[in-house]
Amino acid sequence: MDRAWYWKAGFIALITVGAIYALVPSWTYFKLPPDQRNESGVFEKARPKWGPARHLNLGLDLQGGIHLVMGVEVDRAVREKAVRRAEELAADLDRRSIKGVEVRGDPDTGIVTVSGQGDAIAQAKSRFAEDYPDMYVRRSGSTSFELSMKDDAVKQLKESAVDQAVKAIRNRVDKWGVSEPTIAKRGDSSILVQLPGYSNPEKAKELLGKTAQLELKIVDDQNPIVTQLKDLPQGITLDWETYEGQGGALMRVPYLRSKDGVLLRQFVQGKAPAGEEFGIQKVEERIARETYYRTFLLDRKQTVTGEYITDARVAFDNAPGEGNRPYVQLNFNRTGAELFGKLTAANVKRRMAIVLDDNVDSAPIIQSEIPGGICSIHLGGLKPINEILQEAKDLALVLKSGALPAPVRILEERSVGASLGPELVKRGSLAAFWGLVAVLLFMALYYRFSGVVADVALVLNGIVVLAVMALIDSTLTLPGIAGFVLTLGMAVDANVLINERIREEMKQGRSIASAVQTGYDKVFWTIFDGHVTALVAGFVIRAYGAGPVRGFATTLIIGLLASMFTSIVVTRAIVEWFVGHGKLHKAFSV
Amino acid sequence: MQMKYFELVKPGTNHDFVKYRRVAVTISLIVNALILIGAIAWPRLNYGVDFAGGTELQVKFDKAAAAGDVREVVSRAGFGEPTVQEYGNKEDNQFLIRVERIALLTPEAAAKVKQEVSQDLTQAQLAGFHFDPEVGDKLDFTFKKPVDPAALRAAVEKAGVQTKEVRALTSRETQDQEYTVIAQGPGDKIGQLLRDKFGKDSVQVVRTEYVGPQVGKQLRNDGILAVIYAIGMILIYVGFRFDFRFSPGVVIALIHDAIVTLGYFVVTRHEFNLTSVTVILTVVGYSVNDTIVIYDRIRENAKKFKGMPLRDLINKSINEMLGRTILTSGATALSLLGLIVYGVGTIQDFALAMLVGIISGTYSTWYIASPMTIWLEEHMAQRRAIEAAKPKVKPAAKPPQQAAVR
Repeated sequence: MDRAWYWKAGFIALITVGAIYALVPSWTYFKLPPDQRNESGVFEKARPKWGPARHLNLGLDLQGGIHLVMGVEVDRAVREKAVRRAEELAADLDRRSIKGVEVRGDPDTGIVTVSGQGDAIAQAKSRFAEDYPDMYVRRSGSTSFELSMKDDAVKQLKESAVDQAVKAIRNRVDKWGVSEPTIAKRGDSSILVQLPGYSNPEKAKELLGKTAQLELKIVDDQNPIVTQLKDLPQGITLDWETYEGQGGALMRVPYLRSKDGVLLRQFVQGKAPAGEEFGIQKVEERIARETYYRTFLLDRKQTVTGEYITDARVAFDNAPGEGNRPYVQLNFNRTGAELFGKLTAANVKRRMAIVLDDNVDSAPIIQSEIPGGICSIHLGGLKPINEILQEAKDLALVLKSGALPAPVRILEERSVGASLGPELVKRGSLAAFWGLVAVLLFMALYYRFSGVVADVALVLNGIVVLAVMALIDSTLTLPGIAGFVLTLGMAVDANVLINERIREEMKQGRSIASAVQTGYDKVFWTIFDGHVTALVAGFVIRAYGAGPVRGFATTLIIGLLASMFTSIVVTRAIVEWFVGHGKLHKAFSV
Repeated sequence: MQMKYFELVKPGTNHDFVKYRRVAVTISLIVNALILIGAIAWPRLNYGVDFAGGTELQVKFDKAAAAGDVREVVSRAGFGEPTVQEYGNKEDNQFLIRVERIALLTPEAAAKVKQEVSQDLTQAQLAGFHFDPEVGDKLDFTFKKPVDPAALRAAVEKAGVQTKEVRALTSRETQDQEYTVIAQGPGDKIGQLLRDKFGKDSVQVVRTEYVGPQVGKQLRNDGILAVIYAIGMILIYVGFRFDFRFSPGVVIALIHDAIVTLGYFVVTRHEFNLTSVTVILTVVGYSVNDTIVIYDRIRENAKKFKGMPLRDLINKSINEMLGRTILTSGATALSLLGLIVYGVGTIQDFALAMLVGIISGTYSTWYIASPMTIWLEEHMAQRRAIEAAKPKVKPAAKPPQQAAVR
């Protein structure tokens, strides 16, 4: 045996041990009684602490899961659209230098009011009539008019809001496309979501329910309105902060703070001046180890929002004192980057609030124009690093998979049973199992020794595929299991090809060693091309497909890679060992 | 060296596969066309809830009931393969039932209702009638003159449609009288069947709701687009690894196999759902592999036997690989045998459709992919001959080459 062989054997051993290691938690999971294994904490307690935390899951058809009905606040999406239309109209008028007209969208009613003087208002009206086919004039006067969304535009908006929510939810549930959830729109514009055996419904709800609406808003530090608010309730105090503002002038800004976030939010509700609003930030002081809530006065205009995000990922802050704290880094697309550049250029030395789901995340001072469209979100933190890391990962996922167009509410949460009856599950799994055994037996009988070698490779193939699937949180459904047995078909084919080839070579009078050598060498490219062609298709489908089709592609890719490894590398190593040790002369059978 | 082993195919076997290619391709074309017509025009695929949406019911029993029994009763309603899930705590005895039907009424029954109503209520002058089976059991009538809701109800029921509610509305614009009749839906029918079986007051339908398809337009289009891109990439890869004359054969064979597999669902009228899509994709993967393996042998033989006509090369290669092809297909089919014999419903359909696909995948390599290469080769040879025959194009035009792979 040469050196290369030992390297190969070592590699195979490593993969085998690794695969078994990855499957340990799944083994523990399936050993738990079916009605308990999905209770929160049960698996966590039972799993070996040295093993990975992920396990294979059974799909909705085999074990049921949780059932959520999510209502989308479509009315809010419509109102917000109206406000955005108001901003567009204002910008439009500005561009055409139509002066003296004020456009204001009311976020509470969705009504847009345009007011100004005679000539300008007429001009504004004609602009409106040309370019805003989805709105109509609901009231008209000599110095102002009111706009509202048209009925069919509202209907369309509501529909697309739900569709968009479905899409975002699908992306969030299923990064790899392999967890086989049920996601469907219902007649009343709510969304039905069923997740297989989800052991942590709280986490699921949080992940799905997070709107992930990101807005960047400029902080108004000029207006001292909070100092004029009378009758501060118990628990809310007025405080001041300073920073170096425009032209090096010291800004001294008042704000309200409280330990009670809800109270603070209620108190400032509706007290902001026109065109502005209060934002609340939860501040976690790491040095003083205290948590409080504070206000910012924000300009309501939102030019940069989460819809321009192209990528979101977790990065680590290694500035001194930050101790590698994770944060989320965002990339905007070109339009977003342009808007972001403009926004920052126009507001140098002012503060910009990063608002996520109506909460101010942070409000850094803009030091200079930020071109390139990269923005970062720091997560607050008295929590341990690994929790922040998880939070950062979740946030990056939801930001990337797209914001929900409107907040969603969980209307209903129940557990549901398996959609296939237990008797069907048993029969189906048994049938799939016997199918596998039949193939193994057939190979062993037909090819004898080589057949047994092929069987070893097939079993290893199965273990490797299951291990990778466990590592990416795959869900096994009955058709999935059957499909898995079938992907072994490709592996069977590879082994058949090898053995037939060796037979051919032996018929041409080669010695065993040389037949094995040439057989494997020649068949390598056959197997390679067959697998790679299918792999190419798999990768393309994974990149462009969505939902279930994508899950299929993921499984296919894993299966093909494993099949190439086991049939080309593993069987060859085994056969070479026997041939090399001279143990096979007459006994070698293919 | 004397070796003993089983041999499925005797060495030296030489079937002339290429000879029958015209007949085979003609039959395949006809079969494919028929399947496509069957899938799109008539009788159409029987789309399951995954694609078409359906009705979801929440039912409550007053005592414990087995999901299997409920499923059995519901499946007798004739709304395809139902999904029955336990819902909430076990003590609640609640089930969530999903069936693929949205409306109980058929367009024919609705037409009958329209006829009956216009006859019975001639006075009121029926001006408009609307029924959409995708929306539910809702019949919209527009009359020129007002009618008595009870009379309308009586007329509708006379046509054999159980009515739940009649709503009246006057149009402000046209002064027409509009009535909406809500007929009994799939939910009511299932409730009735369950009550027949489990006792009159033991079952309560808590809620009936329309559920949209899991695979909406967007998802479906994304999926189709992804497959088209994948086919394009296969064309390119095979073109580089083998020869561009070989690429179309692989792709046409895989489309052929996908259509034939679809044929299983057209012929049996069994539910076409997400699992069926998985079957078709798997068959496509299998088909590609099968074709490539034969191509590989053709490539190898072309190097070994330089100058051998493509026709003979293909025949030789297919024959040499015959043992392997039968073995692989056989072994794969074997893995499905259990599911075909013991499987039920979706699972059995999965296995049977896969079997059809595997057979088709083997057939298409022999009779579809290989003839395609011959035709392309002949076509190109012809083109070269025409080019060569043209005067003054190139001074030293090559004579038409013997059809052979490089």
